[in-house]
Amino acid sequence: MNILAAVGVDNPPLDWHALAPELVLVGLLAVLLLVDAFGGERSRWAMPSLTGIGLLAALIPVATLAYDGVVRSMFDGAYVVDNYALLFKALFLIAGYVVVLLSTNYIAEGDYWEGEYYQLLVASLLGMTVMASARDLISVFLALELLSIPAYMLAAWRKRDLGSEEAGMKYYLMGVFASAILLYGMSLLYGMTGSTLLVDIAGAIEGTEVPALVALAVVLVVVGFAFKVSAVPFHTWAPDTYQGAPTPVTAFLAVGSKAAGFVALMTVVLIAFPTQPRIFEPLIWALAAVTMIVGNLIALRQTNLVRMLAYSGVAQAGYILAPLAVAGVSGASAAMAVEAVSTYLVIYAAMNLGAFAVVIAVARKTGSAEIDSYGGLFSYSPVLAVCMSVFLFSLAGIPPLAGWYGKLTIFLALIEPGTLAGYILAVIVGLASVIALFYYARVAKVMFVDPAPDGDTTPIRVPMSLAAALTITVAVTLVVGVLPQVLARVTGAETFLSIGG
Amino acid sequence: MLLTDISPLLSATTAGESYSDFVRSYLTVAIFGLLALGMVALLLGVGSIIRPNRPQPGKYLTYESGVDPVGEAWPQTQVRYYIFALLFVIFDVEAVFIFPWATRLDSETALVDSSGNVFEILGPYGSYGLVKMLLFIAVLALGLVYAWRKKVLRWM
Amino acid sequence: MLLNQFLLLAAVLFCIGVYGVLTRRNGVMVLMSIELILNAVNINLIAFGTYLSDATGQAFALFIIAVAAAEVGVGLAIVLMLFRNRRSIDIDAVDQLKG
Repeated sequence: MNILAAVGVDNPPLDWHALAPELVLVGLLAVLLLVDAFGGERSRWAMPSLTGIGLLAALIPVATLAYDGVVRSMFDGAYVVDNYALLFKALFLIAGYVVVLLSTNYIAEGDYWEGEYYQLLVASLLGMTVMASARDLISVFLALELLSIPAYMLAAWRKRDLGSEEAGMKYYLMGVFASAILLYGMSLLYGMTGSTLLVDIAGAIEGTEVPALVALAVVLVVVGFAFKVSAVPFHTWAPDTYQGAPTPVTAFLAVGSKAAGFVALMTVVLIAFPTQPRIFEPLIWALAAVTMIVGNLIALRQTNLVRMLAYSGVAQAGYILAPLAVAGVSGASAAMAVEAVSTYLVIYAAMNLGAFAVVIAVARKTGSAEIDSYGGLFSYSPVLAVCMSVFLFSLAGIPPLAGWYGKLTIFLALIEPGTLAGYILAVIVGLASVIALFYYARVAKVMFVDPAPDGDTTPIRVPMSLAAALTITVAVTLVVGVLPQVLARVTGAETFLSIGG
Repeated sequence: MLLTDISPLLSATTAGESYSDFVRSYLTVAIFGLLALGMVALLLGVGSIIRPNRPQPGKYLTYESGVDPVGEAWPQTQVRYYIFALLFVIFDVEAVFIFPWATRLDSETALVDSSGNVFEILGPYGSYGLVKMLLFIAVLALGLVYAWRKKVLRWM
Repeated sequence: MLLNQFLLLAAVLFCIGVYGVLTRRNGVMVLMSIELILNAVNINLIAFGTYLSDATGQAFALFIIAVAAAEVGVGLAIVLMLFRNRRSIDIDAVDQLKG
């Protein structure tokens, strides 16, 4: 019994460098909490600046870890810091910074609770950075809840507003229901494989025959994530929540929450289930196809721009799901799928945050997000109109904007395995993109051709922080579109050899 | 294939001794339940046969003493209890993490499988573990300080 | 060790919970149905953990209990807000946003 002899003080070794981004966020959270609790009214103005500085500070350890380049694994492999994790940590932190820029004036000018707003935002971002590293069912679950629970409160932020309250209610109910279903699947998966580590689960279900319970567990897990990424038919909460929630929160949910959902789905599917593609591939294939078609068709008849962006976001979720539907064919197709999904998520974050920044800027003047209220925007605020067109045509996938490169990587990933299912899905992506062009172009037509509905053509004054957010997002959209190799260097397939392949 | 093999447990015939024990203990519960139902049916049945039946509206009041009931039978509780219940539940549940930690703070723990064999011995956490738990409690306390400063703890 | 009885109990609880979420119109009842699903998960995890002589299942269940408390706390706050704004917690009445 040699195990009896080897008893000493037992502490799991912690790699403080690997945990540094999360620790900075926890510290930021504590500082915000104390400043808000003891600073009183005088401290309100400092909240957005503190949050912004803290988020940028958390990027420093991400950069040093990337420079270091060592794969760090903790807690028996439940928490891994590799290039894949670092890319998404950086994405979440930068997206969070842009959301802070979007929120600064919106939250300060509406009579909202500023301290709590930024605390919840940071808590949710903390969950996302944990999600990027989670390689175990328990850590995936904890990260998912840590990012979701603050988001429920943020969606219901305007307490007296019936729309915001409805947004929070629907988001909460669907989110919690989805987590419950996901957990049931996870519990079955744990029971059948005897482990919560994704790698061990993959080892246990390797083989030709798996019991029906494993298939049920995989389906429940995928369906749970489908709610989070708002894939049809589990998307019903998204348009209502996006329209009702405060617009900066909508931007945060549409980009951060959704990207985190995809990261979780991709991690679980490609690490735990790669040996059983027969179970998850048809399901994700059907979800992706239906999501693209239905999302785009409903987006066609929207009159509210935020709602249209919500349905366009649903459709974009379909594009991002598509490469995962063929990821199980071979190691190469898995690597291509990871590359396509990561690339598209980065690009999607930039263009969607940008579009919401314009919506917030225009709403400062018109107080409305109806598409008709954008009439004549080009005549009185040409810069905003041009920015909006850049984002919309990028979402549509028109070269030389970033969205085009995102679509290209998805096509390549779909064609790579050379299966019929992949080709059909590629055709559907193409058709859906053509439909999508109609509604994006319609908004551009309203901005450039139609007259201002109320004849008021005073230019829109864009505050500093919003202008900074627009600059960042336009820059990313243009640079990635013209020089895609910049992004390809960090999202390239060889970056992800540790996962998927 | 490292899958948990639960197939013998899904069929009653191969589950062996313990399974019939299980069924037998539930048989007792079932007999007890049937007896209880029979007793109630007997008492109510006999009662309804032999008692006189003279309905009057006064008999259907909540209090036959003549005090009229006010309001519904489902009264609403003061909503300000909610915030205290919430704070209590959250701190109560967080305490769940302290119990498993406490068993391993300064003594070793033997992991025993279902047949009673020790298969692993875990060492104590020691002072390092103590510091980590104090950090956990400090973060929780931060939440309480926040609630106190925001005047949530005051009875309004 | 008996396993299938626990799994059946959990499956029944899960089904009742899903049914409740889909049919109940009272916000608090929906929250209770979700709790049923989470408890089904906990029963599953602990039964599997005991059957496999593995403590991970119990640890997972502890995390779920703690997270569920926080989650339901937020849920009750949202239902309370609903009640303050509308004097009703019927979630079918929440239908301002459509399209």
